[in-house]
Amino acid sequence: MSVESEPAPSTRRPAWAKVVDQTRCIGCHACTTACKSENEVPLSVTRTYVKYVDTGTFPQARRSFQVTRCNQCEAPPCVTACPTSAMFKRADGIVDFDKSACIGCKACIAACPYDAIFINPEDHSAEKCNFCAHRLDIGLEPACVVVCPTEALLVGDMNDPTSQVAKIINRDPVAVRRPEKETRPKLYYKGGDQVTLDPLAAQRPAGGLFMWSEQGEVDHGVPAGHPGPWNSSAAAVLSYDIPHRAPWDFRVSLYTWTKSIAAGAYLAPFLLLLTGAITAASPLWMFVAPIVAGVFLALTGAVLIWDLEHPARFHLIFRRPQWRSWLVRGGFIIGGYGAALAAHIGVVLTGGSPPLWLGLAGSALAILTAVYTAFLFGQAKARDMWQNPLLPVHFLVQAFMAGAGAVVLTVLVLPTATGPMGAGAMSAALRFFAMGSAAHALMILGEILMPPPTAHARLAEREMTHGRFRGWFRAGLLGALLGVAAPWLGWIVVPIGLAALLAYEHAYVQAGQSVALS
Amino acid sequence: MTPGQRGGSPPGNGSATGGTGSRATSLDDLNRRVSAARREVEERGETFYPGASRVHLAAFPPKERWSDWVELDSRAWPDRVERRYMLVPTTCFNCESACGLLAYVDRDTLEVRKFEGNPEHPGSRGRNCAKGPATVTQLTDPDRILTPLRRAGERGEGQWEPVDWDEALDDIAGRIRAAIDEDRHREVMYHVGRPGEDGFTERTLAAWGIDGHNSHTNICSSGARAGYHLWMGMDRPSPDHENARVILLVSSHLEAGHYFNPHAQRVMEGKRRGAKLIVFDTRLSNTATHADHWLSTYPGSEAAVLLAIANHVIRTRRYNAGFVKRWWNWAEYMAENHPHEPSTFEAFQGVLHNLYEGYTFEFAAAESGVDAETIAACAEIVAGAGTGLSTHNWRSAAAGNLGGWQVARTLFLLNALLGAVAVPGGTYPNAWNKFVPRPIRMPPRHPESWNELTWPADYPLSLMEMSFLLPHLTAERGGRLDVYFTRVYNPVWTNPDGFSWIEMLTDPERIGLHVALTPTWNETAFFADYVLPMGHSSERHDLTSYEQYDGLWIGFRQPVLRAARERLGEEVSSTRDVTPGDVWEENEFWIELTWRIDPDGSRGIRRFFESRERPGEKLTVDEYYGWIFENSVPGLPERAAREGLSPLEYMRRYGAFEIGAAVGPVYEQRVPEAELEDTHVDVAGRAYTRAAAPPSPNVVPIPPLDGDAEGRRRVGVAVNGEVRRGFPTPSGRLEFWSRTLAEWGWPEMAVPGYIRSHVHRDALEPGQMCLISTFRVPVQIHTRSANAKWLNEIAHTNPLWLNPVDAARIGLGTGDLVRVETQIGHFVVKAWVTEGIHPGVVACSHHMGRWKTGDGPRQSMATVSLRHEGSGWGMSRRKGTGPFRSSDPDTARIWWTDVGVHQNMTFPVQPDPISGAHCWHQAVRVGKAAPDDRYGDISVDTAKSRETFRRWLRLTRHAARHSPDGTRRPWWLLRPVRPDREAYRLPWNSSEPSAP
Repeated sequence: MSVESEPAPSTRRPAWAKVVDQTRCIGCHACTTACKSENEVPLSVTRTYVKYVDTGTFPQARRSFQVTRCNQCEAPPCVTACPTSAMFKRADGIVDFDKSACIGCKACIAACPYDAIFINPEDHSAEKCNFCAHRLDIGLEPACVVVCPTEALLVGDMNDPTSQVAKIINRDPVAVRRPEKETRPKLYYKGGDQVTLDPLAAQRPAGGLFMWSEQGEVDHGVPAGHPGPWNSSAAAVLSYDIPHRAPWDFRVSLYTWTKSIAAGAYLAPFLLLLTGAITAASPLWMFVAPIVAGVFLALTGAVLIWDLEHPARFHLIFRRPQWRSWLVRGGFIIGGYGAALAAHIGVVLTGGSPPLWLGLAGSALAILTAVYTAFLFGQAKARDMWQNPLLPVHFLVQAFMAGAGAVVLTVLVLPTATGPMGAGAMSAALRFFAMGSAAHALMILGEILMPPPTAHARLAEREMTHGRFRGWFRAGLLGALLGVAAPWLGWIVVPIGLAALLAYEHAYVQAGQSVALS
Repeated sequence: MTPGQRGGSPPGNGSATGGTGSRATSLDDLNRRVSAARREVEERGETFYPGASRVHLAAFPPKERWSDWVELDSRAWPDRVERRYMLVPTTCFNCESACGLLAYVDRDTLEVRKFEGNPEHPGSRGRNCAKGPATVTQLTDPDRILTPLRRAGERGEGQWEPVDWDEALDDIAGRIRAAIDEDRHREVMYHVGRPGEDGFTERTLAAWGIDGHNSHTNICSSGARAGYHLWMGMDRPSPDHENARVILLVSSHLEAGHYFNPHAQRVMEGKRRGAKLIVFDTRLSNTATHADHWLSTYPGSEAAVLLAIANHVIRTRRYNAGFVKRWWNWAEYMAENHPHEPSTFEAFQGVLHNLYEGYTFEFAAAESGVDAETIAACAEIVAGAGTGLSTHNWRSAAAGNLGGWQVARTLFLLNALLGAVAVPGGTYPNAWNKFVPRPIRMPPRHPESWNELTWPADYPLSLMEMSFLLPHLTAERGGRLDVYFTRVYNPVWTNPDGFSWIEMLTDPERIGLHVALTPTWNETAFFADYVLPMGHSSERHDLTSYEQYDGLWIGFRQPVLRAARERLGEEVSSTRDVTPGDVWEENEFWIELTWRIDPDGSRGIRRFFESRERPGEKLTVDEYYGWIFENSVPGLPERAAREGLSPLEYMRRYGAFEIGAAVGPVYEQRVPEAELEDTHVDVAGRAYTRAAAPPSPNVVPIPPLDGDAEGRRRVGVAVNGEVRRGFPTPSGRLEFWSRTLAEWGWPEMAVPGYIRSHVHRDALEPGQMCLISTFRVPVQIHTRSANAKWLNEIAHTNPLWLNPVDAARIGLGTGDLVRVETQIGHFVVKAWVTEGIHPGVVACSHHMGRWKTGDGPRQSMATVSLRHEGSGWGMSRRKGTGPFRSSDPDTARIWWTDVGVHQNMTFPVQPDPISGAHCWHQAVRVGKAAPDDRYGDISVDTAKSRETFRRWLRLTRHAARHSPDGTRRPWWLLRPVRPDREAYRLPWNSSEPSAP
């Protein structure tokens, strides 16, 4: 009887997991309202809901249900992406959250491959299913488990092989959602059906309708289901789902643009300096580069803070940094870049000339400022279009182009800024702008001409090029092509090219979030 | 360490990798005090409620701590903020299942924080559907009615003024008193939706001595009830799904009421144990999707398919001949119908064989559109079920079709053939699984008058009141109601032909005073003179007992804040003191009203509402229920005493009590010797005794059966020389052949058979389709859930389901506007093109389409304009719903705009000539909307609805011509508030020229 070598079961830490037994689920939505009640979840958002998909052809037809919620990942992307550890994983495996630490950056929402996280409109902080940790901790089952009429929801301990969930997970055919995202979910579907597990398996019905509800036209909405025909073997139509939202709105599009200018506005003059197009003493290098970069960097920061649900908690990024978050890393990079710019101005104001090493350091930080966003987007694991290995390069190209554009416009306003080199600097900047535009256009074309790696990426791209964002996208592409002609057409294409860059970024950022995840 | 103790330790300890927040309380400390986990609970000697997960976690706090339970605040999490609750049981009122709820009453604020299930409830076993937890949103609904209102302008004009309760009660009581004093008893009517209670209101009406009970049942379950009633004397099924080998549902009981959650639990448990599930449902319902065999029967063909299955069981001789021989009234059938055949069981078997041989699989396939192979496969499964066949039909096909009652009758034929009657895994009669405790001061009297408006002699066999004909009967036959109560009932919206209801309600000649008793606004209350706010489920007292498994239980609905305050030591003399605003508790309302009707007791009414303990004083709800629990619920006083509680305290503490389980086949019970005195057994085998019936505390309605000519009472039937209880039918046995039907004008319908529906393909005109208008969605319940925001968020519209074949023919896609033309008008709705419906059939859920013309509930009702010219009525939608500011910040977050379309208004009344049930299915034309049609448009000509009423009336066989004994109705048939026997006598002689 004694099992000396093993810790006694009662003292062992549990590893919580849940089973949703879809062979028993009757689609009654009791879990939905029990959760709303237990956790006081407002209208318009939900921690859990039951998706319906109708499959087949009369009279051989069926309806599949899926209780849809946080997957309690072993490797939770939301925790990795959260800058302040407001999303955190407990020792017992539960992915929990602390609203007092949430700055409302929505990085967790962008990161979650299951669209399981939302901003609560009451307290403006991110939340999701946490297995009712407040109940588990005092020995009660989660509210959804208790209410379920058919005992289709079970919670249990994977460290206890005799627990019901361990038995089912180990013995029965179970599935998890989107294993390719390597999140290792601990929410297992017994009898889960591919038509519900795959968010794009079922067709989105026409007419903005589901079986008994509206699809819902909400702000920044992402309608569920596949906009084309079904994507599975049998005729599959989404018959019930809820309105979904994209986490990042135009402010994030704008931030990528101001940040490109901020990075490029230092980088481009430095390159002009290195290529001899301007001298180290030119006002363009001495003053304009750090000031324009600094102004746009400040704007970038302002836009970022504006985008937060809790702007006043911005400082938590620095006070309780979670180092795997690219928001934190980016914050420090931006901070460092800002410091370099300040040092540059400080040197100039004290009558000196910025040393080369400062220019090199500032430029390196400018490059990091330009490219880190690619890694930030890369942390959005399920936004497949953003999982592009060339994205860092593309952001660098954009920064270069934007910086050259900034130089052109500055010189246009302040012709003396170039110092003794005069018009030569202007034409060099226009050449830079053309080169940047050409590279940008090529990367856009590469993006849309290469076959997308996944159905999700293809739909996102389609939404960008032919869907809701096609106007922005086409303007962006045309502007980039026009920018190539800068050496011939002159400065007039530069503001057009810069505006087009913003349009392209908006299309790219928004289309990347436009495909349903659950 | 034993395996039983595994996992008993507190989990997690919440050692976060991040997360701040003050940890005010150490989890270990907390858990020592409050953990509900198995080890801690058992160490404290308390009750551990295991959950579905079967781990150390509890589903509910130990009941010993229900008075003072500490939980952690979910919103403050991960800070461990403690909240103290008192857990008070009550009963859900969002459908008919009466599932148990536990209200979490915050001990600091004395507000209800949430509702969970009640683990002490034997029917629902602690679990709920979506509507249970949503109850809390109904309490806080910003649009609920909090004060009594009196009409200020014309009826229906929407002008209201607050009124004092005293004034309202005096006015209403005065009119009722005058009606009683002036022998106008028939002019007082109480019209109830689903009562949600046993006994209280019927007792009140009996005390008043009026035949004024009117129910909704004939637009609901009475078709099926008639089928069951004719078979076994009891009118509802109680299937034992959990122990069945084969579950056959002509219903969608994995998602609809009667008894959704309790039955869904047991159906899925039966499936887990290996039962096969067969579902008849024209639509792909959530139930159909779980079926091993889904039969999408063409509407009305169900009985044909069931008879084909019966034929297979008979032909292959797999029926339970021993049971049939013992318990069917075959001998009576043979004697009356085949007098020239030998009166032997073998001869009957031959007759039975021949009777159904025409119901081949091919015939059933042609009628139903289901392929013969599938029907054959189901027949084979049923034939192999032994006595483990649980079947259920409540509304569904029985509520949709002309002759729908035969669906239940042919369904139960399968049980009767297999002997799957009141045995494990079979179907029980409801009355043996239902306990209605005898109340204090049961009025012995029966009304002396007969209400022709509810029980017209045109429908002598109608199972329940012809409620939905009221506008036509008052118009055509000059009926008038001086005081008309609607209670949790909304006929303008729920019943067919709502515009005829509006015409009646706005006609002061027909309705003298309309009093709407309701917690929330509804379309009928808009046309009331008084709107009196009653409590929601956790603000009422009711007793419930429903047939949900083979057992007997009672559930107690109670005002939870009252119970909480009393448990805290406060004295609460009137529930009004704890309800929000000026809302009144309904029992107390009736007691008060009754006292005002008979203030001095001279009418003999008041005495039924006088205290026994304090003569001359009003009966209180405490005394009413306390007396019942003390005197009429076997085992309850003893159980309560074990906990040191009075029976009333026990019920206020735990909310439910199981009187007994495994009731078994009552018909087989031997009648004890003590009940057999001077016994006489007649030629039909019916046994009569002179011994008085032993007093029973259970007053569940059972048909009254006549005694013999010598004055003995019926006590049972003689089977092989022994007197057994048998069935409460005229023959004492299962009535394969119904003498009642045969003698009251329907001999051709007297055995289970197939009646072609009014929507049978042959009955439709070219271009017509059948519309199924009755289906439910799992999160709504008629008009009751309209103000439950979480439910509305999930389901808020009702597009018309149509098969892609039909959609292509008409040229429609999902979301397109469709015009659906009925016999009396049309409505305009959106299309939902789906493979989940039979071609040639369309379906539209009835839950949606709530409307108001002015002020009213904002989250669920469209704002419409009504037009009226002569008999022509029109409705057009001005706007749907949307966000609005209120006391609940959530209403500003309403993201949906659609609330569906009200289809019932465009349906004429279609009463089945036998059961009296409204036949809901409609023959309609479905086409693209006309260019100027707008979503939600409704148009009706009430003159046409009157014509349809007359046309269906011609199908009846009037008691004056067909009554075999000069009465209006067979005495033995069930009837609420049964009048005095003298009142049964027909006022006309069929030979008189004035006879109808």
